[in-house]
Amino acid sequence: MEIAIKLLISIFGVSAMVLTCHFFKLSRPSSISDLDEAKRLLDQDSVGFQSGASVLSRDRAVALIEQVSGDSIGLLAAMGDGVVIRYLTPGSVKATRMGENSDLTIQLRDFTFRPVSIKFDDNSAARTWADKLNRMQESQA
Amino acid sequence: MNVPEFIQGFDPIVWAIPYFTISVFMEMWITKRGQRGRFETRDSFASLAMGVGNNVSSLVFTGILMVWYFFVYEHRLVTLDFSWWVWVLAFILYDFMYYWSHRLAHTVRWFWADHVVHHSSQHYNLTTALRQPWLSPFTLKFMWLGSILIITGFHPVMLAIVGSFNLIYQFWIHTETIDKCPAWFEKLMNTPSHHRVHHGTNPLYLDRNYAGVFIVWDKMFGTFQLERDDEKPRYGIIKNLGTHNPLVIATHEWFAIIDDIRKAKTLRDAAMYLLAPPGWSPDGTRMTSKQILSRWRERNKSTINEEGAELPGSPAE
Repeated sequence: MEIAIKLLISIFGVSAMVLTCHFFKLSRPSSISDLDEAKRLLDQDSVGFQSGASVLSRDRAVALIEQVSGDSIGLLAAMGDGVVIRYLTPGSVKATRMGENSDLTIQLRDFTFRPVSIKFDDNSAARTWADKLNRMQESQA
Repeated sequence: MNVPEFIQGFDPIVWAIPYFTISVFMEMWITKRGQRGRFETRDSFASLAMGVGNNVSSLVFTGILMVWYFFVYEHRLVTLDFSWWVWVLAFILYDFMYYWSHRLAHTVRWFWADHVVHHSSQHYNLTTALRQPWLSPFTLKFMWLGSILIITGFHPVMLAIVGSFNLIYQFWIHTETIDKCPAWFEKLMNTPSHHRVHHGTNPLYLDRNYAGVFIVWDKMFGTFQLERDDEKPRYGIIKNLGTHNPLVIATHEWFAIIDDIRKAKTLRDAAMYLLAPPGWSPDGTRMTSKQILSRWRERNKSTINEEGAELPGSPAE
């Protein structure tokens, strides 16, 4: 009984704190302002990442930056009020799916990273990046 | 050794719950006024859910742990009573043990798999303090953290209480709303500034400031790093999580270890995936904290000295 009461108090307390956070409007959704910022974030995250070809989603929620050597692609996705980064190498992409309006959905072999959609300016750019990402589906091992 | 009546059934954590709760509301209020701090609703929910889960886990496992601790106490070398000086000694020695346990939690992946939960938020606020693991007993660290002091002669109930006070102390330092404390306090104690460094993923801040209560342990054992005005901490982990799902937060590193071991080509590699520092890989495709710092130093060697301080006359000055 005592345990149940403690648990109920905890759930009530957590709910009150989360609701306060929500009603205070403390969350500020993040976005990637431009490709320079995306490259700076990658360089900061992976010291010395040599940025090559790059693209920023129309909604500024996702960016893809290829390493000059072509060995990997940096994927940056806005999440909450921050940005989460993954380095895509052969074997790390599970699937890509072209959608309407030049959208490309990327799913990784990584259960800590939800699928993200990148909105391209045109279909040909979407197809070019889909090809690059599809090459990251095959494992080298 | 009989447990004094005044501490029978005493749980400092329960008494501290109003302090935890009011402090979080105060920090949110300060952040709302735009002074300092940063919150994100889903991140806070995830942190608090981890805190509740940790409490449930404690309820489930406390009985088993106490059986172990009393078994160890039966074999103690000497018997220490409940005098005031024994309490003080227990508090200091517990903090010393905490320092080493915490250091191992960052340098041995087996322990990191558990502790990573606490570091997995990209925010640094009082809800982050409550983001605690669910599966700690499985690391078996209780076999020595606490047990060493118990076999020395400290009573398990005394250690449970000083351990709780150690935890309560560490709550308030998880904030960006406090800049620096008085100089004498910063020198002796763990503070929000010192602990922000600990939660930073900036190469200079990786694997620094392991202290619980007294920062002197880091100064003694060479792991201290001062927070720099020109190096604002970036919080989280090297590979930040792309989800707020508490189940993923609680288990992701364990699954990563299993996956690595499954793919290991030799028994040695499998053992290293378990016991080497996080980021170790046989082919060097991933990087440990030391390797990240070394690469960062290499790039900044013209402007940074061994302690990470700017050299006189460097461009940043």
